Amino acid sequence: MTLTPSPRTIKTAVLTVLAAVWLVPVLMMLAVALMPPGQRAAGFGGLAIKGVSLSSFVTAFDRAPILMHFVNSLIITITSVVLVVVISSLAAYAFARMRFRGGEGLFYGLLATLMLPIPALIVPIFQLNKTFGLLDTYWGLILPYTALGVPFAVIIYRSFFSAIPQELEEAAKIDGCSTFGIWLRIVMPLSWPATSVVVIFQFMTSFNEFILALVTMDSNSLKPLTLVPLIYAGPFMAQPGPMFATLTLITIPVVAVYLLMQRFMIGGLTAGAVKG
Amino acid sequence: MSMSSAPRSGSLAPYLFVLPATVLFVAYVVYPILYVICSSAYRWDGINQATFTGLANYIRLFTHDPAFVLAIRNAVLWAPLTILPQMLLGFAIAYMLETGVPRQAIYQAIFYLPAIISPVVVGIVWQRIYNPFGGLLSDIGFASGLRFLTVPFLSDTKVAIYAVIAVNVWQWTGFSMLLYVAGLKGLPTETLEAAKIEGATLRQTIVYVVWPMLRHVHLTLILLGVIGTLQTFPLIYMLTNGGPNHATESLPNYIFLQAFKLQSMGYASAISVVLMVIALALSLFQVRVLGARFALAE
Repeated sequence: MTLTPSPRTIKTAVLTVLAAVWLVPVLMMLAVALMPPGQRAAGFGGLAIKGVSLSSFVTAFDRAPILMHFVNSLIITITSVVLVVVISSLAAYAFARMRFRGGEGLFYGLLATLMLPIPALIVPIFQLNKTFGLLDTYWGLILPYTALGVPFAVIIYRSFFSAIPQELEEAAKIDGCSTFGIWLRIVMPLSWPATSVVVIFQFMTSFNEFILALVTMDSNSLKPLTLVPLIYAGPFMAQPGPMFATLTLITIPVVAVYLLMQRFMIGGLTAGAVKG
Repeated sequence: MSMSSAPRSGSLAPYLFVLPATVLFVAYVVYPILYVICSSAYRWDGINQATFTGLANYIRLFTHDPAFVLAIRNAVLWAPLTILPQMLLGFAIAYMLETGVPRQAIYQAIFYLPAIISPVVVGIVWQRIYNPFGGLLSDIGFASGLRFLTVPFLSDTKVAIYAVIAVNVWQWTGFSMLLYVAGLKGLPTETLEAAKIEGATLRQTIVYVVWPMLRHVHLTLILLGVIGTLQTFPLIYMLTNGGPNHATESLPNYIFLQAFKLQSMGYASAISVVLMVIALALSLFQVRVLGARFALAE
């Protein structure tokens, strides 16, 4: 009877406008990357391109060994993700199920690390890597990424483990299963929602980490993807096309991982977030 | 002596379980903290013999260093100007999404997208948006006559810090949205229905029912926002590198500049200690006084 639009329509309209604004920088990156070569700088930061061409991607692949950097990132990221999952879930299992001298102190020590800004540690971690000959090696990044990822993962796992009923573990115990066996065969398989949250967070932070990578890696052949724009900023200075094609190629893997894991993400978040 | 429900597995088991985490914690957290505190009392280029100078680094920092003052001022601006807009916008988007719109997953992915893009990429893209010569904003400004859009955002000492803050809001609003979506999913439906039956308006429902019940999410976002304020590096490094003339300087960027560009490891250590003390003081304040906790935990 009235001509006022329904709340649902208003919401959709508001969200669509906001989402469009939010997408502009990403669209501009794609537009500049797809700009045909030889075209004079397109207006509006490159958004208004005339025609589409993949030649910038070809140049980027030709001049910048993106795949090599991608493999470097994967080696560093996957190793640290695996280490974080194993190390944190072991520790969290002890915190959740066993009482031992110093346990509480250690747990709160780990908790306090969450508040520690990483840049405050770059000087000592750089010196530590130098002392142990880890500068310019994968391990020079894997070890600190793992150490700095453990506290968050321990918290996620501990709260998840505490919510698992103990009957299963007690039954396994009676059947002669060791504590390690219980963790491996019963607790971990039940905890995939916690694991998926930990994997996503650790993957994203390690994959995108910048400041430690910047001071640790010297050889171009070992540098992870995050440092790529810095390496090629010089050569690509006058060529926004290949530069933005490179940025696009850097972004694709993270977006792919996110889209694959998205449904686990919200599930894991709500599973972990018990009333405050 | 029995430990109620704990599996009895010999007293060594818990120690073996926490051993790897403890070793990493000591090597990469405890030792580095002691190390920076110690090296902040030296004048040291990182290569040659260091000279003990006591508190000289701190005295210089607090009395003779305008760049440090700017870095502190920027942190004071950065925290509220990123945290509040990110929370309010994130909540508004999450609330609209959760109360029913078609294709919710697509909107959610679009708003969260910036949070997963590398800050290095974000920095380069936004440099082009802010570029006064043919950048997106200046072209829009010239085409529409909105002249304020044509200012050189990143090279004007008065505007630069706000331009960088805006990029941070663009990047992290989706993260706030995600936590609010998770929080809204966890609200008991009875309460919301009761509010409806009582005839509460939309505004009343949000202000008196939904917003207070999401207290743990607000506190988490404030806590993460403060930590984020104190560790933002790549965005500033790529967009302005702390310039022009330290107008967008941040503590992390200043540590990097002193340690790795000016080879003043001792001075950089003193800045690191100040940064750590600020971070711990603020976090303790929030946890003790405000009762903040990570919503993801417990």
